Amino acid sequence: MAYRGAGGHGQPPSAVRSRVSPGSLSTCRTRTHNICMVSDFFYPNMGGVESHIYQLSQCLIERGHKVIIVTHAYGNRKGIRYLTNGLKVYYLPLKVMYNQSTATTLFHSLPLLRCIFVRERVTIIHSHSSFSAMAHDALFHAKTMGLQTVFTDHSLFGFADVSSVLTNKLLTVSLCDTNHIICVSYTSKENTVLRAALNPEIVSVIPNAVDPTDFTPEPFRRHDSIITIVVVSRLVYRKGTDLLSGIIPELCQKYPDLNFIIGGEGPKRIILEEVRERYQLHDRVRLLGALEHKDVRNVLVQGHIFLNTSLTEAFCMAIVEAASCGLQVVSTRVGGIPEVLPENLIILCEPSVKSLCEGLEKAISQLKSGALPAPENIHNVVKTFYTWRNVAERTEKVYDRVAGEAVLPMDKRLDRLISHCGPVTGCIFALLAVFNFLFLLFLRWMTPDSIIDVAIDATGPKGAWTRQYPYSKKGGENNEMSKPR
Amino acid sequence: MDLCKGGGTGLCLRGRIMCAQPGTNTKEAKWQKILYERQPFPDNYVDRRFLEELQKNIYARKYQYWAVVFESSVVVQQLCSVCVFVVIWWYMDEGLLAPQWLFGTGLASSLIGYVLFDLIDGGEGRKKSGRTRWADLKSALVFITFTYGFSPVLKTLTESVSTDTIYAMAVFMLLGHLIFFDYGANAAIVSSTLSLNMAIFASVCLASRLPRSLHAFIMVTFAIQIFALWPMLQKKLKACTPRSYVGVTLLFAFSALGGLLSISAVGAILFALLLVSISCLCPFYLIRLQLFKENIHGPWDEAEIKEDLSRFLS
Amino acid sequence: MEDERSFSDICGGRLALQRRYYSPSCREFCLSCPRLSLRSLTAVTCTVWLAAYGLFTLCENSMILSAAIFITLLGLLGYLHFVKIDQETLLIIDSLGIQMTSSYASGKESTTFIEMGKVKDVVINEAIYMQKVIYYLCILLKDPMEPHGISQVVPVFQSAKPRLDCLIEVYRSCQEILAHQKATSASP
Repeated sequence: MAYRGAGGHGQPPSAVRSRVSPGSLSTCRTRTHNICMVSDFFYPNMGGVESHIYQLSQCLIERGHKVIIVTHAYGNRKGIRYLTNGLKVYYLPLKVMYNQSTATTLFHSLPLLRCIFVRERVTIIHSHSSFSAMAHDALFHAKTMGLQTVFTDHSLFGFADVSSVLTNKLLTVSLCDTNHIICVSYTSKENTVLRAALNPEIVSVIPNAVDPTDFTPEPFRRHDSIITIVVVSRLVYRKGTDLLSGIIPELCQKYPDLNFIIGGEGPKRIILEEVRERYQLHDRVRLLGALEHKDVRNVLVQGHIFLNTSLTEAFCMAIVEAASCGLQVVSTRVGGIPEVLPENLIILCEPSVKSLCEGLEKAISQLKSGALPAPENIHNVVKTFYTWRNVAERTEKVYDRVAGEAVLPMDKRLDRLISHCGPVTGCIFALLAVFNFLFLLFLRWMTPDSIIDVAIDATGPKGAWTRQYPYSKKGGENNEMSKPR
Repeated sequence: MDLCKGGGTGLCLRGRIMCAQPGTNTKEAKWQKILYERQPFPDNYVDRRFLEELQKNIYARKYQYWAVVFESSVVVQQLCSVCVFVVIWWYMDEGLLAPQWLFGTGLASSLIGYVLFDLIDGGEGRKKSGRTRWADLKSALVFITFTYGFSPVLKTLTESVSTDTIYAMAVFMLLGHLIFFDYGANAAIVSSTLSLNMAIFASVCLASRLPRSLHAFIMVTFAIQIFALWPMLQKKLKACTPRSYVGVTLLFAFSALGGLLSISAVGAILFALLLVSISCLCPFYLIRLQLFKENIHGPWDEAEIKEDLSRFLS
Repeated sequence: MEDERSFSDICGGRLALQRRYYSPSCREFCLSCPRLSLRSLTAVTCTVWLAAYGLFTLCENSMILSAAIFITLLGLLGYLHFVKIDQETLLIIDSLGIQMTSSYASGKESTTFIEMGKVKDVVINEAIYMQKVIYYLCILLKDPMEPHGISQVVPVFQSAKPRLDCLIEVYRSCQEILAHQKATSASP
């Protein structure tokens, strides 16, 4: 039974090995890292950040690194669990405050995080999402402990209102002594550099990716007698559901053979229902409600045109998924969207009903005249754009660079905080950093690093799960991989 | 960080081939702001075009000094209203002002204001709202009857509360009235109902310290006139005849100052300073501060929906 | 055969592991903590009494002093009888089952026995305990309804909390016996 962890995850160890080699990826592996991904957002929560962390971790494991993930407990899912290929996830019992983000006091998470960093022999902390309090806490503690830090920003933020002024200040504090920052698009990089007043040289752009094998076209699933427009997004203001409510009646009156399929849930669903009611479009506008990620593809392949009405977007995964399924994409020209797809695969419009309707009409006329390329061809082009392997390879370069850098010692860190974050905020956070350091000294006195057990690696060069022969004679150590519950 | 090799991604999508061979001279390849191709630049490459779409202060307004002074008159008016109210209350409390006289004057000025209210815009506003004169008369009658009927209750309502508490409460309520008053700014804190309620509450508090219930009745009526009806007339005056509005403001400010002067010279001087600083110094300061404004805009901003989408739903 | 080795618990305290091999199919592991030291006992008593004396000077009620004496005595008794575990023993017999005994400082003993038919496996697991992440040994019990499911997890050495090296020691021995048991039950 105890061997189940080592050998029972579906693939024989040799298969794991062979997956590492294809392509030019495993040419010159110089060193491996012990990486700890920290974010409040992880499965079972669903979203872009969650899948990014998971896919990136899997590819890094495949490349021979040790990866663990730290997040907060989701309901009954707390403690330590293993996912595919020995990806170890710590679900820490921290209090959730708002929108799945934990409450922060900047100190209370130090004992647990320190214990994890020490027992897993972590060398690089990689935090995700600026909305996650835990990610910022981990950065703060890691710098106190003298570990290398990397941060990935997944979202865009304005500069106009009071709340953004405050969050941007906190981001400045959090990132001013972080070793490297990763953004998902060039627009996002500009945004982050401005928000946190960073040197652009330490900000890398590494786009998100989609798994092209999950999003394959299937042209037989759609009816060619009618034209179907698919929308898959959360129905909230920021995703432009209001624009959608204007587009639907406008186009439905003009084209009798036009149908809409709308997937997703949200507070703005009500206005779509009102529009449907008012214009008697029940048979032409289908509202599917919340979709699971695995169902998205089945919805996408039913349509000819994909419409994205977002008002702000750092990197739009939805349009890549749709293009990968062979749909013609019509989208608003906001945020990083113009960078994502080449001009012949996307029709960009201004965020207004008029412009989006013109864009859709153009797509419809192209479709009717047969000027659009076949879904299979679009898929073959798109599938080369974004792959997780590529993302992992580029992230690895960031890790290699970061590992060679020195972490700021305490005195330099305090100097940097005070000089970089303004006199008031800088001094406050410098004081907090000192408190954190004293707290760390206290913890080191209470439980010295030497009496914290080193965890058995599940992944990485000595990983129990990737070992070639898990049943070798001295295989006792493999057996510690108990069954995750 | 070394260069990313773009081998295998030499896509020919727009009829343009990206030269991505490792041996290519990187200076010749032009950086593009795209993500779907591997470019021969490191991931942390900063191009000359970095932040070229950054714009500053595109929505910033240019202020004219006298225009700001004119707009500040709303604040001056409201301060003067509060001052006049307190002065009148003081006269009543001291017994220097007969309630009948105040009631008569108030009634007369209300009638004049009522006629003016319709005359200024030639009855346009009335037509739009569709309210008849009969309805106005009815509500006025109902209000006066009820206030008169309940004035003995108002008089004794706060008798058990100490006078100091009443004064403190009245001061807070009048301050609150000034804070929450709708000066025309579009802010979350503005709430004209709350502001009016606070003023009426202050008047009820102060009225309970007057000698008789008739006094109390007339004080509350006066509060309604000066805090509810007078701002409405002001708003219309300001919109239709700005010149006369400036005149009315000046006249009102001087009469408030005069009233205060008859009670306390120091108070009058301080009040005059306050009015001058609000109407002259603050606008000057605002225009100076505009020079330091740095509002950043760029492609990351959340797009605004400029069209009116309600037509699809109405 | 009997041997004794010294290990440490997760807080750095000393533990002694005694292993007795009665036969290839019967082994006993005994983890003993150091006994209650006179120094800590004195320290706790002094603190309670000092606090009581402070209170007494404040409100000048001699009841407080007598209450303090009672509290220390009762507390000590309760601690020795219900909290302080001196020795934890794990006896594993191939054909019979697993017996866990914990003996308290007062001499009280509590015993749990799990028959071999119910035992699915013995594993080392990780858990978040207070502000630490620790390893612990546990016995998985079979679910009578589902042959592959687990109905319950019984942790072993709950109070001693030994470190991983000690757990691996015990774990290997247990696995040997379990393997032996599986082999003998499968062969006939």
